[in-house]
Amino acid sequence: MTAVAAFEEGLGNAAAQYSDAFDAARDEPALRAANARYTGPNGLVTKLMKLMPELPKEQRRELGQRANQLKEEIERAFAQRLDGLLQAARLAELSGPSLDISLPGYGARRGYLHPLTRLKHELLDLFGALGFDIAEGPEVDLHENNFDRLGFPADHPATDMQDTFFMQQPPGVNPRATLLRTHTSTVQIREMLRRKPPLAVVSAGAVFRRDDDATHSPMFMQIEGFMVDEGVSFSHLKGVLTHFLQRLFGANVPVRFRPSYFPFVEPGGEVDVGCTLCRGYEVIHIPGQQPAALPGGSAEVCRACKGTGFMEILGCGMIHPVVFEHVGYDPERYTGFAFGMGIDRIAMLRYGIPELGLLYGNDPRFLTQL
Amino acid sequence: MLVSHKWLVELLEFDVAVDDVAKQLTSGGLEVEHVRRWGENLTGIVIAEVRGKKPHPSRDKLSLVTLFDGVAEQEVVCGASNVPDAGGLVAFARLGSTLPGGLKIEERKLGGVVSRGMICSEKELDIGADEDGILVIEKSRHTQPGAALADALDLRDTVYTLGLTPNRPDCLGHVGIARELCALIGDDNKAFTFPRPTSPRRLVQATSPLWQKSEHAFSLADQYGSMGAEPVKVSGIAPVSLQVSAPERCPRYGAALVTGVKIGPSAFVVRYRLHVLGQRAISNVVDATNLVLLGFGHPIHAFDLRKLRGSRIEVRLAKAGETMHTLDGQARALDADDLVICDGEGPVALAGVMGGANSEIGPGTEHVLIECAYFDPPTVRRTSKRTGLHTDSSHRFERGVDPSDVRAVLAHAAAWIADLAGGAVVPDALDFYAQPTTKAHVTFRRARAQALLGAEIDLARARAIFARLGCHVTPTAADTLAVTMPLHRPDLAREVDLIEEYARIVGYDTIATSLPNMRPSPEGTAPAIRFVRRVRESAASAGLWEAVNFAFVSPADHEKARVPASEARVANPMSEERSVLRTALLPGLLQNLVLSQRHAQKRFAGYEVARVFGANTDAKATLPSERYELGALLWGMRASSYDEREQLDFYDAKGMLESITHALAGVPVETVHDSSLDAQAPFLHPKRRGRVRVAGVDVGVLGELHPDIVNTYGLEGRPIYAALDVAALQHASEQVGVRKASPLPRFPASTRDLAVVVAEDVSAGEVASVLHDTAGTLAETVKLFDIYRGAPVPEGQKSLAFHVVYRDPRATLTDKLVDETHAKLTAIAEQRFRGTLR
Repeated sequence: MTAVAAFEEGLGNAAAQYSDAFDAARDEPALRAANARYTGPNGLVTKLMKLMPELPKEQRRELGQRANQLKEEIERAFAQRLDGLLQAARLAELSGPSLDISLPGYGARRGYLHPLTRLKHELLDLFGALGFDIAEGPEVDLHENNFDRLGFPADHPATDMQDTFFMQQPPGVNPRATLLRTHTSTVQIREMLRRKPPLAVVSAGAVFRRDDDATHSPMFMQIEGFMVDEGVSFSHLKGVLTHFLQRLFGANVPVRFRPSYFPFVEPGGEVDVGCTLCRGYEVIHIPGQQPAALPGGSAEVCRACKGTGFMEILGCGMIHPVVFEHVGYDPERYTGFAFGMGIDRIAMLRYGIPELGLLYGNDPRFLTQL
Repeated sequence: MLVSHKWLVELLEFDVAVDDVAKQLTSGGLEVEHVRRWGENLTGIVIAEVRGKKPHPSRDKLSLVTLFDGVAEQEVVCGASNVPDAGGLVAFARLGSTLPGGLKIEERKLGGVVSRGMICSEKELDIGADEDGILVIEKSRHTQPGAALADALDLRDTVYTLGLTPNRPDCLGHVGIARELCALIGDDNKAFTFPRPTSPRRLVQATSPLWQKSEHAFSLADQYGSMGAEPVKVSGIAPVSLQVSAPERCPRYGAALVTGVKIGPSAFVVRYRLHVLGQRAISNVVDATNLVLLGFGHPIHAFDLRKLRGSRIEVRLAKAGETMHTLDGQARALDADDLVICDGEGPVALAGVMGGANSEIGPGTEHVLIECAYFDPPTVRRTSKRTGLHTDSSHRFERGVDPSDVRAVLAHAAAWIADLAGGAVVPDALDFYAQPTTKAHVTFRRARAQALLGAEIDLARARAIFARLGCHVTPTAADTLAVTMPLHRPDLAREVDLIEEYARIVGYDTIATSLPNMRPSPEGTAPAIRFVRRVRESAASAGLWEAVNFAFVSPADHEKARVPASEARVANPMSEERSVLRTALLPGLLQNLVLSQRHAQKRFAGYEVARVFGANTDAKATLPSERYELGALLWGMRASSYDEREQLDFYDAKGMLESITHALAGVPVETVHDSSLDAQAPFLHPKRRGRVRVAGVDVGVLGELHPDIVNTYGLEGRPIYAALDVAALQHASEQVGVRKASPLPRFPASTRDLAVVVAEDVSAGEVASVLHDTAGTLAETVKLFDIYRGAPVPEGQKSLAFHVVYRDPRATLTDKLVDETHAKLTAIAEQRFRGTLR
């Protein structure tokens, strides 16, 4: 057979076969393999092209054109078939079975800030936004800072409000010289001794009292704030705390101020907010009559407010002049207010925590719920 | 403090509604915690007249009583032995009624006889404490058979529970509450008047002096005003002498005598009033003293005069070694700081706290000496604290009773005791008051009050309020008042106290709210405080959950966890378990892990950021050092998949630390060997731990827990612990400073791999760092990607495989340069680590 005849036969075979071969390919790799048999480096058409120099000069041009045409034809057919296969595969996936999306996700688990920390940060931020600085003080402090400078009279029942853990002292030292702070008000004294007005400071941290029952923990968290400047008034105290409490509990929650006693403030007060659990404040409560019921008509008395519709939330007042005298501020020139509240109780309310013990039990089954 | 509405109304001389009282007292700072209505749960309980009684046919202890209940005669079975004879009145629970305790009265067969109702005792009706027999009712015009018991005995009352603050001793009696209500809701022009004593029914006309001659004598007759008492002659009582030897502890001491009393139970009215106020009725004389305490808030004490040896009363400090028996039967060793009342031979009362058993009122008491005094509050408090005797009396004295009401209270007390117990008051009484208590004088400035409250002040209103609270007020210069404080208000001493009184009485709710002008402080929040918060947040971001453990732990836990012993001991811990302040966070987290394993949890990834306590550091060595530590404890299942076989190990912990230090300082964490950890971190596995370094600063330790500790705590697996010092971390972070951005590479990188077989004790970090150094600036990273052990690598060796990424930041690298550099790395790896290439 002449070179021309062989070439023609090759072209004929390729032209006759490729289409069936492509159709027979069921997926992309098979198609690519089939395509390689014609236009790949060792493919039929490629090999023919390599034979071109052996062809007689006068026919080389014509046969070359035919070979090129065939190659283009095959490439088109390949592209078309490939497109068809990919579309079919996509259609098959889109109409096929779903991924089992119920399997658990994996990868790093998120961590958790303790609910008390989270709330503490939130409270500090609320006051930070009002312009209060954050300060801290030691957990073991001097008797002076915890009691005397705050105006607690010696041997007075006011100190019964805070049963104290004292630190052991070496012989010869006053056995009551140092103690675990019973409130964060120690920071008031320390900051006022260290700085001059104007100042607005908020401080949060652990405090300690000798009390351990269903509603008391010997260590618990408190937040304390105070502001001293010329012209600070009780009206400002009410303004700042109302703003704060409504940010915390909701814009429409009622806030009630009533007189109370803490040795380091005068006038002193306590603040109640409407119970966020039963919203009993929406019903006018008359003392001595049926207390506010729980939502849903339950006959049970509300756990959070004991049916009064209000919850006692913080203590506050105008800083007592005796405190200013103890830290060297002129009480005629400066006035200020102070407030303090327990963080634990608010955390329990907010997160629906049924027992105080859970907050300090560090059971991961509890801590990773919130 | 329990307060009777009925009693308040008697004192106020005007009527007030219960709701107003509750609301006003709370708004005035005397928090009403609870309101209880009395006499309203007695429906169906009526007065019945006994018509006849006979023994029960079959039961010895029961009787059959025929009653007339106003409608019909009923036969009931009764177990009491004190059923009155025909004509007597009893409290009868009709069929269908319910007793306050919840018992429903129905027909019941008792020993074969049907009982149609029940005759009740005080206790069963909750109108008294007597349960020894049924309540026998005295006839009066209200006690017709069939009358409702609550009406017949006037049982309706409302009792408020007040939560009082310790600055208000004046409100520990009904008179004080009435005064307060008068200021809160009364007419501005009507001042409260202290109740005037009324004359007793019988007064003594003594045939001989009953007191030793004394400069402190006064006459009670002056207190009673109009007299009309029956004169009673008394003789045969030796004159009593009074001496106050410790006037600074006992500035005032009044005494009066009542003779010829007959001890017995009080009338029902008295017993019922005590009952609703939470007091148990004891005997007429004792009940009267309790009524005085509840009425005036001024405790008094009654001595049996016959029992006072030597007819003598002396008030003095106890002598060391002296003892006495208090009323509760306890023998008390006295302290030289205790104030005592003595007779001619020794202590008969612990002043202001409790009486002595030797001078107690008893069934045979005939003559009573009444004491009404003012004792130094801190003295009473110290004795009360020391002895653990917190009584109604000490509660009031330690807060400060009114020293000025002694004569009036004595007069009331003497009359009540005499009238309740059938005795006669001796008009001559004593009042030792050598140095009258000084009253505080204060100037109230309207401008000052306005500035402090941020509200307009009405000076006329202020004046009326102060007057009604018992102050003496005179206007002085324009816009000021001169105010003298009353002695019943020891809490009023300064101008600011009056400003509070004004605000309290007008109501805090009348003061408008406003926001202050905030002047920003130049100082701001200290970086250290903000850093602690970042530490907490970055640890949570790294996948750990935060624990909050108590600051106090047991010394044994410190020892068990091999952390330094604590020098910060609590002097009065609640238990040994919580008796020292922690020096490390490990003991707490270990406890948490133990519990977690006990609860069959599969994973533990806890951290805590809290203060740990060290030795006293300041010059005066008073306060322990406090520093923040970050402790993290990991154990159990790896979180990367739901495959529960993979366990967390050292590298998981290191990865978490890495995430934390990246967040805090922007640099990776290094862990380095340091043999000093044997001594400094004995709680870690000596072969699986290291010092943690960040930006060249040592910040803490990381490692598996020592197997001994795992064993002692009974733990499973291999927990990994890290303890970092927060201040050191902050220092490292400051060393790094604010990280600056680098431009992205503009030239391509070329990656070559290198595997080298080295001895087991050669660390991968060491190899990587030598490779990096050798390649110099051309190597962008040298990163371990595989560790292989096993054939064909010989025993005791491992194959470490690294990706080396080459890049020249200024030009495209040529293959030739990369090949040459990589060859140097290969050579050095063979030389330095005696490694062989794989």
